[in-house]
Amino acid sequence: MDFAQLFLAVLFFGSLVGIYIFLFLKNKKTPKPEGCENLTADCEGCKDIYCPNHPTKEES
Amino acid sequence: MVGELITLLITSVLLNNAVLNQFLGLCPFMGVSRKKSSALGMGVAVVFVIVAAGIVTYGLYYLVLVPLHLEFMDLVTFILVIASLVQLTEMFLKKSSPALYKSLGVYLPLITTNCVVLNVCLMNISNGYDIAHMLVYTIGTPLGFALVLYIFSSIRERLEVADIPQCFKGNPIALIVAGLMAMAFSGLAGII
Amino acid sequence: MNRMQNFKNGLIKDNPVFGLYLGLCSTLAITTSINNAIGMGVAVIFVLILSNMIISAIRKLVPDDIRIPVYIVIIATLVKIIQMLIQAYAPALDSSLGVFIPLIVVNCIILGRAEAFASKNGILDSALDGVGMGLGYLLAVLSMSVIRQLLATGVLSMTNPFNEAQVLFSIRLIPADFTISMFSSPLGAFMTFACLAAGLTAYKLHAQKKEEAKAAANSKEAAK
Repeated sequence: MDFAQLFLAVLFFGSLVGIYIFLFLKNKKTPKPEGCENLTADCEGCKDIYCPNHPTKEES
Repeated sequence: MVGELITLLITSVLLNNAVLNQFLGLCPFMGVSRKKSSALGMGVAVVFVIVAAGIVTYGLYYLVLVPLHLEFMDLVTFILVIASLVQLTEMFLKKSSPALYKSLGVYLPLITTNCVVLNVCLMNISNGYDIAHMLVYTIGTPLGFALVLYIFSSIRERLEVADIPQCFKGNPIALIVAGLMAMAFSGLAGII
Repeated sequence: MNRMQNFKNGLIKDNPVFGLYLGLCSTLAITTSINNAIGMGVAVIFVLILSNMIISAIRKLVPDDIRIPVYIVIIATLVKIIQMLIQAYAPALDSSLGVFIPLIVVNCIILGRAEAFASKNGILDSALDGVGMGLGYLLAVLSMSVIRQLLATGVLSMTNPFNEAQVLFSIRLIPADFTISMFSSPLGAFMTFACLAAGLTAYKLHAQKKEEAKAAANSKEAAK
């Protein structure tokens, strides 16, 4: 693998991660529209702790 | 060619159904099927994200990863694209359409860990689909998921009032219902 | 003592699969044979321990806001590593597990443990938690696959994953005329899972009742 290719690859993945983090932060900052502040899915089934609707997330 | 595409569509929606035959996306399938309205919301959100993610990852794989000989990085790329798309969709809905956000918003973050999405992206590549097949498969699979999710939630609403042994209440009986649905769907194999 | 208790709970009472319903997709799909179950279980344990350790090691370096993106990248990289190892050394396992190896990335157990445990605890504790949860998963897929393989084919067998031709053991327990091939189909997968999960719930209810009876007896004695 030559040097230019390596550089392009690093650039590509750097930008992918960058885009994700940028969107993630931007989405976090965007306020929820009116009337949607307290939306919760009626969801106790999957216990997916990663999901923001999980009950343990409520205190934070 | 057209016949082949129609066969692929029927296969991906009914015969090789994502939930009942491939056991994909069971977490949201069990989690958000208590009410018909939430099942519908989740179904629409999944269709939207899968179609977007399927097309973007297909493009990135053949236009960027293959020329750079980076095929082994497919998994990392795909999961990043899916996660970014989920964030983008959520942000877009928040800003432009509060009404739609109200019905779909809570289901969007769940989709990042929905295996159907990643599976569609990976299958498009490993099955070597061309663009037409990719589009049909990408649209058919989430449609099958949404259809089964909606049927399942209708059954589950009735199940709430049924008299069930204590230890089967909740998820176990729901799984048995899913099994019976799988049996019914396998009867459709004669279509083709 | 406390650690031991946690470990035991992860295996049976809070089993990630039957108790918490995490990682259902792969559990139902790959439990058609014991070979697949063990291969998948070992792959999950490997990813779970390493991701828990790495995430716990960098938990103070990562800003709180962007921790989920960082976890996803770490887990995806680890899964790709194990996928390439399996492709190189156990190609038969790779072809029978298929897409479910890359799908470990979105397996709720791994992200869930990263978020709920490893991001708050030390490296050793996180590694132990990974072992406990991983063994719980392995136990669950193994019990499913033993039932399904036995009822569907009547044979309990296992081959060496690194060398397909070498059969480690193969015992026929049910004559070929009396096997139920339904158990290798999706219906059998759902049924087996539902019955095992209901069994665990029944066991929990029984234990709870026993404890309540004990507490009631104790309070009666105290009243005397």
